[in-house]
Amino acid sequence: MEGWLTRIATNTCLNMLRSAKRRPELVTSDLTEDETAWLEQVSNSIGAPAPDAEQRVIGVDLADKVLETLNPEDRLALTMIDGEGASVNEVAEVTGWSESKVKVRAFRARKKAREVLKQLLGRRQ
Amino acid sequence: MDKNHITKILDDKPLTALSESELAAVRVHIAGCNDCARNFEAAQLSGLLLKERTSEAAQSARNANPFFQTRVLAAWREQQATAGAWSLRRLWNTTGTLISSMVATTAVLAALAFVIPAEESAAQTAALVPSSAESVMLDQGEEEMTNEQALSAIYYDEEAR
Repeated sequence: MEGWLTRIATNTCLNMLRSAKRRPELVTSDLTEDETAWLEQVSNSIGAPAPDAEQRVIGVDLADKVLETLNPEDRLALTMIDGEGASVNEVAEVTGWSESKVKVRAFRARKKAREVLKQLLGRRQ
Repeated sequence: MDKNHITKILDDKPLTALSESELAAVRVHIAGCNDCARNFEAAQLSGLLLKERTSEAAQSARNANPFFQTRVLAAWREQQATAGAWSLRRLWNTTGTLISSMVATTAVLAALAFVIPAEESAAQTAALVPSSAESVMLDQGEEEMTNEQALSAIYYDEEAR
């Protein structure tokens, strides 16, 4: 029963995400001044103590912008595995996908997110 | 490993899931490869952003607790009650003197209007009652006398004379 409900909820969310317009690319001009400053500050001090509440809010907004560039299914896989710490097996159970599909989705999502951020950091530099 | 770029390692699993040996290999490689160093930095940022977003989502989920609304509403009502009592006290402080003087004036006017005139009218009525009652009774006696009774009374008086 629990698995069935989770599956329905997941599919509903996926359909909603599919219907939402996806931004194909994120460029520096799409970022606010705060987000640009956040990128600069954080990239220079990765591993430093956690930023304050205001900085965290800026980080969340920036994360949303980066995630918007991803395919909905890739976004789900990345959020669940890298964000929530779910295993490939758990994501496969919830989504009904095969484990190999989950791995491929997560792989593509990491690559895309990394490239987007690399591009933003490169243009900043 | 030094000759192979590390992008596959970065994309294959989350950075937090990399083993010590994989991390060591990455560090060795990025020391001599600028492109991979930028990729690693971007991957670190990506992980950090996802972590921030996840913690924010968890915070929102905690805030969505049904008891949260109850607590907020209770605190708000308490604040409103305190503010209401305070505003009444402040209103009394500013207008208390005026209201007290108005109440005293009203009481005095009420006493003048109802108590004193009532005493005067009672005294006047007491003075007028005997004559009034007598005249009323006389009037009523005349009215109740029939014509025959009046005639007999007149003739009786004349006969008596």
